[in-house]
Amino acid sequence: MKKAYGALAALFLTTSLSSHAFADGETIAVFTKNQTNPYFQTVRVGSDVAAKAMKAKTLHYIPTKPDSIPEQLSQIEDVVVKKPSAIVFIPVDYKAMVPGVEKINDAKIPVVNVTDRSAGGKFVAFVGADDYSLGLETGRYLLKTLGGKGNFVIIEGVKGSLTNIDRVRGFNDALKENPGAKLLASQPGNYQRLQALQVMENLMQSNTQIDGVLAANDAMAIGAIEALDGANRKAQVIGVNGTKEAIDAIKAGKLLASGDYNGFMQGCLGMMIAIRSLRNEPVITEIVLKPTVIGKENYQPYDVPLESRTCPSWDEAAKLGTK
Amino acid sequence: MTDISKPIASGRMLLSDEMIQVFYRLLAAFLICAALTILTNSFFSLGNILNVLRQASLLFFIASGLTLVVLTGGLDLSIGANVAISACVAGTVIHQTGSPTLGVLTGIGVGGAVGMLNGVMVTALRIPSFIATYGMLWVLHGITYWYMGGETMHGFPAGFRQIGSGYFLGLPIPVYLLLVFLAIGTIFAQRTTWGQEIYAIGANPVAARLSGIPVARRLLLVYTVSGAMAGLASIIFLARLNSAEADIGESLTLPAIAAVLIGGTSLFGGLGTVFGTFVGALILTLVLNGMNLLSVNASWQPLVTGVIVILAVWLDMKTRRRAA
Repeated sequence: MKKAYGALAALFLTTSLSSHAFADGETIAVFTKNQTNPYFQTVRVGSDVAAKAMKAKTLHYIPTKPDSIPEQLSQIEDVVVKKPSAIVFIPVDYKAMVPGVEKINDAKIPVVNVTDRSAGGKFVAFVGADDYSLGLETGRYLLKTLGGKGNFVIIEGVKGSLTNIDRVRGFNDALKENPGAKLLASQPGNYQRLQALQVMENLMQSNTQIDGVLAANDAMAIGAIEALDGANRKAQVIGVNGTKEAIDAIKAGKLLASGDYNGFMQGCLGMMIAIRSLRNEPVITEIVLKPTVIGKENYQPYDVPLESRTCPSWDEAAKLGTK
Repeated sequence: MTDISKPIASGRMLLSDEMIQVFYRLLAAFLICAALTILTNSFFSLGNILNVLRQASLLFFIASGLTLVVLTGGLDLSIGANVAISACVAGTVIHQTGSPTLGVLTGIGVGGAVGMLNGVMVTALRIPSFIATYGMLWVLHGITYWYMGGETMHGFPAGFRQIGSGYFLGLPIPVYLLLVFLAIGTIFAQRTTWGQEIYAIGANPVAARLSGIPVARRLLLVYTVSGAMAGLASIIFLARLNSAEADIGESLTLPAIAAVLIGGTSLFGGLGTVFGTFVGALILTLVLNGMNLLSVNASWQPLVTGVIVILAVWLDMKTRRRAA
């Protein structure tokens, strides 16, 4: 049965995807938001690793202008014509891309939604992480380290973006759980390193004692650390995303912790589900990964190049399912 | 004959008018400082003033080169992307060779080369600068994204990082560089023949050509200088942030244009000063510093910046009309 499917897929590919006529497995199109944020690189590598293990091919679609709605829409139009076997999809905007998803649905291409939950359209499954609990858990880690008290500042990401709203809400709730914790300021760094550095420099002027910094991503957390170093001041800093840079900073004792958004795992699971659904194997329709906080005690598994990490087995993955 | 000699003289004749314009801006900056001194108890301290100057310096380096381009009636939209590519290439050179000097030269060299390409497109191919540099922005983004592959480069030698975060006699190193380039830029634009020719080209390119100014060569120069300044900014960026990534430039281009506009340089060319741009960068930085110190809600901050740009340009048009 599996062989028949493979043959069918091969026949299908020879007729529709001339450049991949030699393919012996399925071709899965992977849509990510941009080439600039390291997070999406982890998703792409995760999906590549999973596809390779399952003998399928990946085709990446990334807008040249980061997070461009029209560009992702036109990439969807291209893909509907090229007809890959399945699609792993991160919408650049969870609302604006719904018409695009509907086009994919109309073309009867199975699609798995990853990272940002689309506001509409039909999906085989959703794989994501929960920004709120990630913000909450990473914030709690910081507060626990500082004994639940002290002066804190939050450096926010892009105002109005889904990830930022939920992460900052999680940070705030972690602070509220501790009556001894005082929030001095919550200021925008727009996920940018330089802006976070300057915000931190400015906040240090008006606050003589800052004990903890909660940054909505790693780049801003590292920017804040540079500002602290420059002023010869010390504070415990946390970030979110678990990027390579963050792992290095944790190893060096500069960054306290980073909440892992698990891009690699999301890429793995999205790809595994897409391929399994094509092969008529059982899938899980919803996986919301539990937050992992990477700190000094557990950074080692993350301290390897992305390409040499491995995806979980399906049995392990099945345990992560929420539905 | 009168038509031809006019633009040559215009640079010097406008000087007093420009001084009045700069004075208005210094006054505005002073008023913001006064307001912040009253509203906060942390603004008026040596530490914070040095902090503001250091933050303004990065913006000034990018905006000062841009000022020369705008004075000729052109625009350089590729500066932010140029900072990103220069930083990434210079960062690689430092990592590979371990030599900060080589890295600094590479950063300025890459920036200057990109600027020169812009200049060639504008002069030899006669592509409007807005479009040539806009196209360049995309090309640079493409190359940088591909080159970095979504990764971040970080960890540079401590000696190199002094350029961005070190102090000398109590003043941050970038502030010294700011003063040096402010002096060079001002003397070049106001006191040299080449500088005066740049004003003349912006005021009336046809008359400038007829009066024997080598327009193409001067344009090539200003675009190269603009690129090289972006290259210098990339070095300061690397040294301050201790890292390079592909998208660092995107948030720099619009503030640099804002600094030039707030500083009173006309987008139509021929009017403005490098010193005005310095005050423009200072005002923008003061406003952000003030909003942080006052803990203004994050949502309002871009709005405030936008209103200030519009207000500054409107006041500029008003006062110039009256002066004319």
